[in-house]
Amino acid sequence: MRFAFTEQQTEFRDAVRQVLTKECTPDDLRAAFDAPAARTDRWTTLAEMGVVGLTVPEPQGGLGLDLLDLVPLLEEAGRSALPEPLIETTALAAPLLAAFPSGPAVDWLERIAIGVVTAAVGPVEVISGSAGSTGGEATVPAAVGADLYILSSASGVHAVPSADVTVTPVASLDPTRRLGTIDWEPTTTTLIASGEESREELVRLADRASVATAAELLGLADRMISIAAAYAKERNQFGKPIGSFQAVKHLLAGARVKLEFARPAVYGAAWSLGQVDLAGSPSGSRGASLAKAYASDAATEAARVSLQVHGAIGYTWECDLHLYLKRAWALAESWGSSADHRSRILASLVVELHQTQA
Amino acid sequence: MNVVVCVKQIPDPAAPPSLDPGTNNLIRAGKLILDDSDAYGVEMALQLVDKAGEGEVTLVSMTPNGETSGLRTALAMGAAKAILISDDSLAGTDALGTAKVLAAAIKRAEPDLILAATESTDGYTGTTPVQIAEILGLPSVTFAKKVEIDGGSLKVERQTEAGYDEVESPLPALVTVTAGVVEPRYPSFKGIMAAKSKPVETLTIADLGIDAGQVGAIGARQEITDVSASEERASGEIVVDEGDAHQRVIQFLEQLKVL
Repeated sequence: MRFAFTEQQTEFRDAVRQVLTKECTPDDLRAAFDAPAARTDRWTTLAEMGVVGLTVPEPQGGLGLDLLDLVPLLEEAGRSALPEPLIETTALAAPLLAAFPSGPAVDWLERIAIGVVTAAVGPVEVISGSAGSTGGEATVPAAVGADLYILSSASGVHAVPSADVTVTPVASLDPTRRLGTIDWEPTTTTLIASGEESREELVRLADRASVATAAELLGLADRMISIAAAYAKERNQFGKPIGSFQAVKHLLAGARVKLEFARPAVYGAAWSLGQVDLAGSPSGSRGASLAKAYASDAATEAARVSLQVHGAIGYTWECDLHLYLKRAWALAESWGSSADHRSRILASLVVELHQTQA
Repeated sequence: MNVVVCVKQIPDPAAPPSLDPGTNNLIRAGKLILDDSDAYGVEMALQLVDKAGEGEVTLVSMTPNGETSGLRTALAMGAAKAILISDDSLAGTDALGTAKVLAAAIKRAEPDLILAATESTDGYTGTTPVQIAEILGLPSVTFAKKVEIDGGSLKVERQTEAGYDEVESPLPALVTVTAGVVEPRYPSFKGIMAAKSKPVETLTIADLGIDAGQVGAIGARQEITDVSASEERASGEIVVDEGDAHQRVIQFLEQLKVL
């Protein structure tokens, strides 16, 4: 058995890294902070490449690939702190729509593949704290300016066009999150799945969200450690680079170790969610939660260490670090914090224990 | 409209380069990538073929070690096929030797137009393209910033120091394009997948009927005798203002004869 990405997966990853290195620079991110937008030229470029439609079935113009293929690309998105909603659109909305290929779903999928639609995904009651929450009301990432809203109600899962929702923006430390609260009324025209199958799909959605967010966190952690390590080599104190001091070295090495231990958990969970017998199963969900808990912890640690290595300069607008810090902080809490996911794993194990004892 | 694009696979410029201490040649072991400056030629060729509505883009490249990863990048952009001349005896070939080999390979493809970059990013001799044209007995137009095909003739805006020349030439011809002539497309995933099954014809110099004595270090008419680090820029003079700074700045500028 081969525990590594295929040649094609690494080639796609390299191609995306090449594009984002040029099209998603720190200066581009500062511009995006000033004027956050859902769809951009960069989004069109990624759609033309096939990134956005990666999980859209082939008949609808996509590549019909799965989360495992997407994970290395999400890592690159994290490394560059891509402001556009690749998680929401490609990791979440497209596979969900593909599971219920009704008329409107097919239409949405075709438009996602060509890059003219971005999605926002509302909170799912599977994970406490999913999609973040403030004061009891759920805030939804990528909500401001989205074209399609995947929302759930008591009746089932809905694919709602932007005309049928009212979005109230909510301020975020990272403005490219485009947070908002969503006011909407469920109708039968927007309903794409109901009953038991919609409940099962929401579990899968939450698991995919956990793993996809975890993948971006890996990329963010990697980038922050790289920035901090480079800084430690050039910043002198007491006549030599601060990176030569053991205390600084150990901080960075510790963060790197945490990242490298989170990595296989994320890859393993992504693989599990692509297996028919594991996707949506308690074991598959526990893997997804483990991935998110580890990746959140690793990225939070990388953020803390990188900021400390930089000193106060790390928190200035001019220093690139904050662009990645803010996203890491946001994503570490998004779709369930580390604590939320540890609780979910515990609850799942307790249920399983009772079942074996009964 | 068949276009040949000369492309070079070079060591990744992002990695620190190293020289062979014996020959002073750049070490080209390991993975090679498509020279960034060649992406413009590939893009230009694809656009011209697209506009003509028929024909295809063929890549011609030469490397000692049979490497194709750089060619795959250009194939993923949309080139139809590639000819790779790979032969152990090519190591150490100079610009003229390279031109002889590439010219022989290009001749087989019978192109209407040959595109090349003005120079490679690793060697910077900038002489190979015009040597190819000379060997093939074709007109060459260098430093193109705009290329158009009008019937059987070629129209080029040729970059000069003062502006640009408008040049017309019959086809076939060789044109070198400047970086920025077009915006190279990013390879799409479908292109990357398709590139795997596109033909790369690998030839030896014997296949091209070239004598081994004409190429490689043996055939080279030039050798690198010495390499030294470029001179570091001298540090500037720091003027501490003790009330006379403006006078000293004026003195400095007068010394430079700018005042």
